[in-house]
Amino acid sequence: MSLLERIESVKQAALIELRAAQELPSLERAKGSYLGGEGQFTALMKELGSLAKDVRPIAGKAINAVKQELEAAIAEKRAELELRAALPKEPTDFTLPGRRRSLGKLHPLTQVTDDIVKAFRRLGFVVADGPEIEDEYHCFDALNTPADHPARDSQDTFFVDAPGKPLLRTHTSSVQIRVMKSQPPPIRLIVPGRVYRRDNADATHNPTFNQIEGLYVDRNVTVGDLKGTVEAVFKELLGNDVKLRFRPHYFSYTEPSLEIDFTNALVKKLGKDWLEIAGCGMVHPQVFENVGYDPEVWSGWAFGFGIERIAMLRYGITDIRLFYENDVRFLKQF
Amino acid sequence: MKVTLNWLKQYVEFTWSAEELTERLTMLGLEVEGVTQLGGEFAGLVVAQVITRDKHPNADKLSVCRVHDGQCERQIVCGAQNFKAGDKVPLILPGASLPLKPGAPEPFTIKVGKIRGVESHGMLCSHEELGLDPESIGHRREDGLLILREDAQVGQPFAEYLGRSGSDVVYDLEVTPNRPDLNSVIGIAREIAAVTGSPLKTPGTECPIAAEKASALVGIELAAPDLCPRYTARIVRGVKVGPSPNWLRSALEKVGLRSINNVVDVSNFVMLETGQPLHTFDYHLLGGTAFQAADTGTTNRPNIVVRRAAAGEKFVTLDGKEHTLSSEHLLIADAHQAIALAGVMGGQNTEINAATVDVLIESAYFTPTNIRRTSKTLGLRTDASYRFERGADINACEQASRRCAQLILETAGGALVEGVVEAYPESAQVKQISLRHEKSDALLGVSLPAEQQSAMLTSLGLKLVSAEANTRTSVWEIPSWRVDLKREVDLIEEIARLYGVDKIPSTAPRGAVGAHPFDPVYDQFAEVRRILSGLGLNEAQSQTLINDAAAKTATADIVLLANPLSSDMNALRPSLLPGLLATLGHNFTRKCSDVQLFEIGRVFTHQKGQPKEGWRVAIALTGARNPGFWAGAERDAKCDLFDLKGIVEELIEALGLRGVSYAQRAESSALFLESATLALGGKLYLGQLGQLLPALAKHHDLRDAVLLAELDLDQLLARRNATKSFKPLPQFPSSRRDVALLVPETTTHEAVLQVVRQTKPANLDTVELFDVFRGKQVPEGQKSLAYAFTYRAADRTLKDDEVNAAQAKLLQELKNRLAAAVRE
Repeated sequence: MSLLERIESVKQAALIELRAAQELPSLERAKGSYLGGEGQFTALMKELGSLAKDVRPIAGKAINAVKQELEAAIAEKRAELELRAALPKEPTDFTLPGRRRSLGKLHPLTQVTDDIVKAFRRLGFVVADGPEIEDEYHCFDALNTPADHPARDSQDTFFVDAPGKPLLRTHTSSVQIRVMKSQPPPIRLIVPGRVYRRDNADATHNPTFNQIEGLYVDRNVTVGDLKGTVEAVFKELLGNDVKLRFRPHYFSYTEPSLEIDFTNALVKKLGKDWLEIAGCGMVHPQVFENVGYDPEVWSGWAFGFGIERIAMLRYGITDIRLFYENDVRFLKQF
Repeated sequence: MKVTLNWLKQYVEFTWSAEELTERLTMLGLEVEGVTQLGGEFAGLVVAQVITRDKHPNADKLSVCRVHDGQCERQIVCGAQNFKAGDKVPLILPGASLPLKPGAPEPFTIKVGKIRGVESHGMLCSHEELGLDPESIGHRREDGLLILREDAQVGQPFAEYLGRSGSDVVYDLEVTPNRPDLNSVIGIAREIAAVTGSPLKTPGTECPIAAEKASALVGIELAAPDLCPRYTARIVRGVKVGPSPNWLRSALEKVGLRSINNVVDVSNFVMLETGQPLHTFDYHLLGGTAFQAADTGTTNRPNIVVRRAAAGEKFVTLDGKEHTLSSEHLLIADAHQAIALAGVMGGQNTEINAATVDVLIESAYFTPTNIRRTSKTLGLRTDASYRFERGADINACEQASRRCAQLILETAGGALVEGVVEAYPESAQVKQISLRHEKSDALLGVSLPAEQQSAMLTSLGLKLVSAEANTRTSVWEIPSWRVDLKREVDLIEEIARLYGVDKIPSTAPRGAVGAHPFDPVYDQFAEVRRILSGLGLNEAQSQTLINDAAAKTATADIVLLANPLSSDMNALRPSLLPGLLATLGHNFTRKCSDVQLFEIGRVFTHQKGQPKEGWRVAIALTGARNPGFWAGAERDAKCDLFDLKGIVEELIEALGLRGVSYAQRAESSALFLESATLALGGKLYLGQLGQLLPALAKHHDLRDAVLLAELDLDQLLARRNATKSFKPLPQFPSSRRDVALLVPETTTHEAVLQVVRQTKPANLDTVELFDVFRGKQVPEGQKSLAYAFTYRAADRTLKDDEVNAAQAKLLQELKNRLAAAVRE
């Protein structure tokens, strides 16, 4: 056999052996037996030197080509075997549950409050706050709520066992008085916060609940402004299909006073035409006088509504007590 | 747009100072980008004539001259060589100063003195000494004295000779693109007139008219009326083209235009004055065609054709550049060839030259979009294209052309041929806009009487068409130069400008943002919620009203209701922990034994006998540390104190509180089995954390350890540092030294840290505890604390030696003070 024929035959044998390797060590052994120092192919390469000058380049070229071919075959096989070695013995079951990290959830009342606050802040409102333990002046007197008003009945109000007959605020409206007494108009604020009514807990009552109060005082404020703002916010909170209805009502600290009913698909599903959702009105001139604002110059409106009620409507929650039980299965749903 | 104070004063009277004008123009919407003071320079410099020039007796290169300064003769010693007797030269008189040279500390002042023994009473000046570029003032550049024109008047102040007589101020104004009318001196003067109430004095255009009729001399054909709705031509015959008079040259030079000749200068002057770009052609270079005149019979009359260029048509503009055009470009052509690139630049073939005798003045209106496109595609931007592309005043063509003719006659002589030849097929429509005065008031927030609003609009050249008193509405005719006035609000803007935007009272933002101190606190609460929920805790909100016995587990100091509904809810919570405990119990009875919660809420205690409210944040953990998983050693791990402390540390770090320490309580409390208090700076109480008493856990049916923390949120937020600043990332590698210390059981980690802090090892970057070990090889009553000390310098790689030295010193200190032995 000529050298070229022997090269071809060693190549064929090498390729068969290399391709048959089932694991990396056997591949390396096969490589050594052909391309190693004592390998069969290496031996052929050594013979090159003894060839006649005229045939040496042809043989050299052939030998190099085969060497490259063998090295490529080794590289390919190695990649294949390495990939196989990296795989687990049994394929991973991707349907197994993942190792979870906990994501804490915000309380649904927090989420609803945040949404309301965001909607109002977009309209230039700021968030204000006031004490929960109040006095009669801020909670009632200054809000034009006469001493014989039913809202002042101790049936409705918790009193604190302390000097000066402090009470737990029955509405966030008390903050109106505190803010107006401390700063000049114009004012545009909302007050989210806890209020207290002396009601026994049931599916729709809790002695503690959250309200959000809004107050807007400026020159030339109209009922139109009140309606426009309230409509804009409720559309944002309850969806664009919400319809609002303003109907005359009575609150001692607003004149005219209005109640806001709303309706949407959800209300219809509950089998009702309208659901009451908030009270509002134009700030009573007497309230302005009480805080030292000139009612001839300033006008404004105020509204208040319950946050639990909005959350219950939004999420379809039917028992207000769930908010205060903090069952984690409840909390994790929001 | 550049304009000078003196030029403006030709059209309107005002008494504002130069500075005040800057302010006024800016407040009118014409921002002044630059102010340059002219004149005042060359004081003490006069035009003098050399009478004799003799060699200096003691110096070869100097001459002794007798010069006349207009008043008397003076002897001057001079070193220049380029002059002779009879020349007129600038003379600076003794006591006067040469213009300050750039970089020189103070100007050079001339004194009477002897030069090589000969007295000199002043100095003859070169252009360099005067800081002048001779070519820019129309003089030859040469070494030696600045030789003045022969017609210079001896004794004339030199500044006057230069046409810079008196002082002047050049204003560089930024004209907004909506106001092309302000690209003219008259336009700016009109604004000033509107503010001051002084009348606008537009220049007259009277001049002698020759008997010849223009229509016999030129014809106009509008082949593209969409691109050129109006074209007018006037002809002045018999001009003498030459240098411009001083006033004209000076007017142009002050605003940055170079004087070319009297005819071209006039057309530029009128463009600057009126805003209407004009072009002048040498009438005799215009190609004509046969024309049958009524009286004079057939003549060869130039016919101007305004047409689109043919595709590929070539045209050489005044600047010598050849342009290849397309049908998008508009040309002015005569009978044979193009003569101007419409509205952009004239052609070389018909430009005014020294031999020009008769001049054709073009005054036209070109459609802005086409001029803009032409200017852009050819890369050719001129004062004319700048004005046309913004929108010229179509009604100004005729008047500007007449003004141009008048000034040509004044500066170059000749006679104006009667009449104007015009192509104006469709008159521009007159715009009318109605204004509701109440709308103006409402928008501006200031109440102005209708008469005042109307007066303002009238002063800007708007004409009142009708006014309705009942509805407070008026209708206005808009002058053609105000291309920007399109609707009511544009008129309101004019009223705002003239009334003065600065005079409109600012009203506080309605319901000003940040007008309540709680507003930012609300956001900080949200931030705390975000941090804690991010750490895997769910938010709880529990009852404010709780049972007094539960309340007392937190503190004896509780606030009771005077009229409770029931004993379950007879007290206001003094702490969030009782509520959270009840919540844990509630969850446990419902088989939820793995609960990790936080709450932010108000608590109520007493202060000086009065109820006091405060905000707290509380954390409660019990049960599994991690959500359920199906493999691994960690899956059964339960929450312990260090889960709780890790959360507290994360919160405190995220809020930016530094220097919080944890002090272990020696004994169990009413609530805690083991607990510690948190303090800031070792003193200020921040809160507590610990493990619930097993008996209380049992009371709530809780099986696993219950970990509770409560922090004073008011303090936490008051003491936080929300400032964040970037610390450069390390550039050099660190060196780490791990060491296990054997210390007595009573030695705390904090005690070790304290020694480290006090020792202050050089270049110590971080200390990390990575193992606490008791048992094999650790003697009874001791523990092994393994620390990693990382050393790093900001500016170099530390050497082993220096790290070892610092570490050795630290270990010695730990040994001395804590009896800490290094565990080998």
